[in-house]
Amino acid sequence: MARNRPLKLLAKLRGWTASKKSIVVLLTGFVASLAILGLTATTIVYTSTEEFCSTTCHEMTTNVAMEYKGTVHDKNRTGVRATCPDCHIPHSQVPLYIRKMGAVHDLWGHFITGSINTREKFEAKRQELAERVWIYMKENDSRECRGCHTAAKMDPEKQSEKAQARHAKAKKERLTCIDCHFAIAHNEPQGGVGPQELEVDRSLISKGAIF
Amino acid sequence: MSKVLEKIRNWSSAPGALGVLGLGLGVGLVIFASLGAFMVHANSESFCSTACHEMTYMAAEYKDSVHDRNRTGVRAACNDCHVPHAYIPNYLAKLGLLSDVWGHFVTHSIDTKEKLEAKRYELAKRVWLDMKSNDSRECRHCHNTTKMDPEKQTEKAQARHAKAKREGLTCVDCHFGISHKEPDGPGPQELGAADQ
Repeated sequence: MARNRPLKLLAKLRGWTASKKSIVVLLTGFVASLAILGLTATTIVYTSTEEFCSTTCHEMTTNVAMEYKGTVHDKNRTGVRATCPDCHIPHSQVPLYIRKMGAVHDLWGHFITGSINTREKFEAKRQELAERVWIYMKENDSRECRGCHTAAKMDPEKQSEKAQARHAKAKKERLTCIDCHFAIAHNEPQGGVGPQELEVDRSLISKGAIF
Repeated sequence: MSKVLEKIRNWSSAPGALGVLGLGLGVGLVIFASLGAFMVHANSESFCSTACHEMTYMAAEYKDSVHDRNRTGVRAACNDCHVPHAYIPNYLAKLGLLSDVWGHFVTHSIDTKEKLEAKRYELAKRVWLDMKSNDSRECRHCHNTTKMDPEKQTEKAQARHAKAKREGLTCVDCHFGISHKEPDGPGPQELGAADQ
């Protein structure tokens, strides 16, 4: 009997659509698409807020969010900030969707393996996690940094002489933002290599820009 | 029209009933995704500053101001200051675009530099009053006052900000004429409720 239920529903639907109510079925589909798109978009917006990222799981609250507090991207002269999503969520449509699906991996770590559920475990994995972020940023030429910092709109004359020289050098040597500006929002891992020491397959750069 | 309806009815009485549902779903996806894409496109600097020649005047004035070019390359473009960051006001503003289309194609209200200059004060006043009425909501979308570090500001700025807080002033009361030329006439602080 239970097997017949979907068929009955379909028959009912067919009954409606054979009558003048066919337009209602069309509209139902229309409204359903609004609900689906609306929910998807709302989920992406909501899960890309500082509040969600820094309070939903204690792994983020007690480690990275706490370390970020008071850094230049949190508090500065003008009060213009970059929060969690600005640096860690892709500023490009397709990579964004892929990253959001990848959040399933975070759920797995939180609920099943408990991979960084204590400060000790987090510290033990800090180098590995940092390297993962550095490599991603190197591969896509620091796309997320550039989401806010437009290099072509930087005024070198307003930068210190040291910064001007370093930026010129970085351009010559084809370095990317993260090669020098690392550990600026979270503690620097101790004892391991930095971004400049990490080898990234140069051919991945264009791929990284897409994914 | 009734023929189309009849066709849909014929389909949907067949096992294709789900097809009609799917059709509605597909049409909805296209319409809402297009709307969303339009909102994003109409908020871009490239659209605002090039779509109508009237705005190219404004864009030229903005060029090299501190919100365009600065030490860090972190910018605020047209939409950051001039398109509401809240949902409903954003939709209303987009509907209000009709007024711009009307001005561009029908009345030609600011289609020459001379006409723009003649209207500059009126237009500036409109923006100032709007920003005063919503406590400079668009400024505050980027500039979070609780995350400003007074110690990194000049002494003059610290004193002025303290004074502004005491007197209940809002951002645009002092920070006006910073991205576009300042018009002659009373500034935002001189404008009161009577001017609304």
